[in-house]
Amino acid sequence: MSSKSPPPPPKWVVELNSPPPRPSPKASKIPDPPGYSSRPTGKQRVTQQSAPARRPVETDTLKLKKAWEIALAPSKQIPMNAIMMYMSGNSLQIFSIMMVFMLFKGPIQGLLNTNAAFAKFETDATRAKLRGAKAVYVLMQLVLLGLGVWKVNAMGLLPTTRSDWLAWESEREPLERAYFAFG
Amino acid sequence: MWFRAAVLLLTSCVPSSLAIFADEVNHIDFHHALLGVPSPQTTFFHRPSASSNASLLYTLSEKLVLGAVNPKDGSIVWRQNLGRWSSLDQGAEGFLRSNDGETTVVSAAGDLVASWDALDGKLAWKSRFDDGPVKDLELLELQDGSAGSDARDVITLFGDKTGIVRRLDGLSGKAKWEYKDDRFDRPPGDLPFQVSSSPTEVFYISLQSVPRKGYKIKITVLDPQSGRQTKQHILSSENEVSSPESILFVGANTASPLIVWGDKSQKLLKINIVGSKQVHTVNIENNGGEDIQKIEVQAPQGLNSPPHFLVHYETDSSSWAEVYHTDLKSSTISKAYQLPRLSEKSVFATSHRAANVYFTRITDSEITVVSSASDGVLGRWPHKKRAVDTALHAAAEVVSKGDSAAVRFAYVLDSGDWVLVRNGETEWTRHEILAGAVAAAWAEPTSSEDLVHELEIEGHESVLSAYIHRVKRHARDLQRLPAWLRELPKRFFSSFLTPEVSNLDSFGLAKLVIVATESGQVLAIDTGKHGSVAWNVKAVETKNWNVKAIIAQSGSATIYAEDGSSVSLNITSGEILAKRAPTSKIKSIAIIPDGPAPATVGIGEDGTPLEPLAGSGYLVTLSDDGRVLGWILGDNKSPVWQFLPPRGERVIHATSRPAHDPVASIGKVLGNRSVLYKYLNPNLALVTTVGENTATFYLLDGISGKVLHSSVQTGVDTTQPITAVISENWFAYSLWADVTDTAESKGYQLVISELYESPHPNDRGPLGSASNYSSLHGADAPPRPYVVSQSFIIPEPISHMAVTQTRQGITTRQLLCTLPASNAIIGIPRPVLDARRPVGRDPTPAEVEEGLFKYNPFLEFDGKWYLTHSRDVADIRAVISSPTLLESTSLVFAFGGDVFGTRVTPSQAFDILGRGFSKFQLVVTVVALAVGVAILAPMIIPVLKASWGSTAE
Repeated sequence: MSSKSPPPPPKWVVELNSPPPRPSPKASKIPDPPGYSSRPTGKQRVTQQSAPARRPVETDTLKLKKAWEIALAPSKQIPMNAIMMYMSGNSLQIFSIMMVFMLFKGPIQGLLNTNAAFAKFETDATRAKLRGAKAVYVLMQLVLLGLGVWKVNAMGLLPTTRSDWLAWESEREPLERAYFAFG
Repeated sequence: MWFRAAVLLLTSCVPSSLAIFADEVNHIDFHHALLGVPSPQTTFFHRPSASSNASLLYTLSEKLVLGAVNPKDGSIVWRQNLGRWSSLDQGAEGFLRSNDGETTVVSAAGDLVASWDALDGKLAWKSRFDDGPVKDLELLELQDGSAGSDARDVITLFGDKTGIVRRLDGLSGKAKWEYKDDRFDRPPGDLPFQVSSSPTEVFYISLQSVPRKGYKIKITVLDPQSGRQTKQHILSSENEVSSPESILFVGANTASPLIVWGDKSQKLLKINIVGSKQVHTVNIENNGGEDIQKIEVQAPQGLNSPPHFLVHYETDSSSWAEVYHTDLKSSTISKAYQLPRLSEKSVFATSHRAANVYFTRITDSEITVVSSASDGVLGRWPHKKRAVDTALHAAAEVVSKGDSAAVRFAYVLDSGDWVLVRNGETEWTRHEILAGAVAAAWAEPTSSEDLVHELEIEGHESVLSAYIHRVKRHARDLQRLPAWLRELPKRFFSSFLTPEVSNLDSFGLAKLVIVATESGQVLAIDTGKHGSVAWNVKAVETKNWNVKAIIAQSGSATIYAEDGSSVSLNITSGEILAKRAPTSKIKSIAIIPDGPAPATVGIGEDGTPLEPLAGSGYLVTLSDDGRVLGWILGDNKSPVWQFLPPRGERVIHATSRPAHDPVASIGKVLGNRSVLYKYLNPNLALVTTVGENTATFYLLDGISGKVLHSSVQTGVDTTQPITAVISENWFAYSLWADVTDTAESKGYQLVISELYESPHPNDRGPLGSASNYSSLHGADAPPRPYVVSQSFIIPEPISHMAVTQTRQGITTRQLLCTLPASNAIIGIPRPVLDARRPVGRDPTPAEVEEGLFKYNPFLEFDGKWYLTHSRDVADIRAVISSPTLLESTSLVFAFGGDVFGTRVTPSQAFDILGRGFSKFQLVVTVVALAVGVAILAPMIIPVLKASWGSTAE
């Protein structure tokens, strides 16, 4: 059998590969279904539509704005955490210990991932300006951490008092020794 | 550090006190309820109730404790200490009498005659006479029974110089009549000797002194109804009787009372039937060629008994006896038969039952019973007895069945043991000598001390030689492997079947207590075996051994006596290792724990060390004239300081912190987590002085002699017990005080004082963070403590105080108080005796967190504190405590009269699995689960595979 050219692809393949131009609403005259909006929403707008359209300066401003939002995000948790910590009491129970653990885990992870959190906003132009946002971010995480420390202290787990170091203090040794023979 | 802190935290959380549970009684504690060594004349079997045939063994001991012992098991049925009823001189004579069919026993000692219910020891009556000590006591058995009552009347003889015979009513103890022997007012009055009675007459026997010769025996016959003198005659015995001790026997209450005495050459025996003037002379047949050392006469006590008696002769190596019969009609005495001469010492016991009299002969090898009527042996048993013991006297009870007899007898050994033997088998042994314990000390079993010693060697050598030493030691240990392996299954199974608390001997709970008694006997009591006596050795021949100290270390115990002599004994076997002759009189012994063997030095009566010692340090001593002296070890010529109490006060007691007094935490953590630092000075001495009605407690520094603190109590009754104890950073004392201008309370008080470095928390006082200090150099050296005190009114006096000791001092301490009024020992937990308890207000939350609760001036002794629980632990002289390998547990041992031992866990037994934990149950559960899985697995796995396999394939 001689080699034959493959059969032409089915029509749906062709249409999939080169979709027909979206018919303009006016052209198609077909009304949109109720509630459908042809305008793309959310991230699509940022990534798809605006990206090629914006100018670099405008993008950097947006990036900075976004970065500040992220930097300030932990501060929103502070009041909630403070209330939770206050309400959970100072006794050593499994729940309060777990909550305190979470309170420490979040900020420490946040601090470790500081650069990662701001990586996508980082361009040559924004690098200098991002420092402020990063500093605020770190500060906010530290405030959260401070909340945790305050809580641990309230629970009496911090060795801040004299009694916590008593075991390392030693008895004062007398230089002379007396032996008693009272009988 | 963390571990210690954690344990400290743990111990502070648990309740401070735990009662003793019923199943721990006799398991963790032991008690020897003692009477004292029974006296020969006042020990007998007696049936306390006419309806029952069972008899009890009664004794009035040398300690003047009257008691009834159950002959079956040797337990005490009841006891009464006559010393508690009247003030008795040391060595006062005691008398105890009972008659067949009577439900009372009558005792007399000192100025007191008392009748006791024989069954339960309740007092029937007591009479007190203040005309001299009692010399003799007899129960009157009149033939006509004119007394008309159940209880027999009592004839007593009182007086040292002038004899007073009284007949006391058997029901009330009131005197019916009195005969006073003062008719002839000659200056050397007749020596009152004894009373005796026949069914119709009362005899008063006195000794009339003949100058430069001896004594004549004067017999005054009294009418039993009126007490009037009816006759009087004198037996000329002045050639033989040189002292009251020369009279061998005055027979009491037999149908024919006898007086027996011998001549000085031990050749003749003179016998007089009391009431007659005739003196029978019996030649003593002594064929052995040895001098007779002892002649003893035994006769039955009962009225119905035939008038037979036994004379027992003893030489250095042999003994024999002769039995005599008295013919009442012709008043003659004839020898009936002789018990053969044996080349060993014998002890005879006389007993009677109905109209039969039996003599029991106890020798080292056999026991024989004969009737007084003939020399046919009714019973013979081999006697198993330790060869070293010598029997002193015995009380026997014989039951005869036809021509055979059963006998049980209780005999006293020279070691102070009281042994009951029934038909040749030892039933029980009571170590009555322990009633005279004067000193005691803990001794480690040798095995654990050996290991400590070996480890010490390894610690001091170079690495290589220490390693070689260790390898050698382990190789030596391998020799014990087969034995260890053989024991392994037993240990394995026993550990499963019994709870852990039942066998803790390997944790240092099995210790020996070396006890020295006033009679020179040394005993070892094993706390691991319920206080059984491990060995009992005569160390010194003395009557009054004044032991000053016992030092037990590295396998030997050395006992130091007042005369400067000392005895060393092997702890395991009791073998005497060394004896040192007396030197000069000493007041106390100083122990300098320097190196492997502590150095000891005697302290003279004036408080001077007898010899200078090498090494640096100071010695604090007490002199007889009430000064406290401080010395440099190397100089015994002149003291470096002395403490003289103010005029009018005298030192009665001085004490220091125990040698083993570890402190786990150097501060006290307050509720707000700050620290109050304890004033910890190992050189503190607590000196008690008393004035006319004051007691002062001085806290001295042992180096400089400076008074660091003193507290004065006014209105003190100095005749009541005043005790003091010091430990860690606190001291406690107890006394009786009345209301005065400065004191508002009256009664027995217990005062606790705590010493701190500074009144302020987190402050270490003037020395700050210095790691050491000198008591001699520096402006304010040593610093004074800040003292907090609280006093409590307690319900009864405390005669002795001690403090529990544990290995590391982490466990809270207990104050061990001896209560003589209720015959008990209590352990008061220290948290109760906290001097910082808030006064007049409820504690703040911070104080609650600290464990403080509101101060209450009256400290009621909680029933849970009683270490002796329901036991009657009498006449305790001192309590000693010892740590064990378990931090939670402390051993306690009390001695003096009774002997009592227990173990205490002041912070609960936090390092022992309790009785509720069953290893057996745990293992059974695990095994049952494993077996269940093994059985079910083959049934389940195919099903599982079938259902899961279809989808997996």
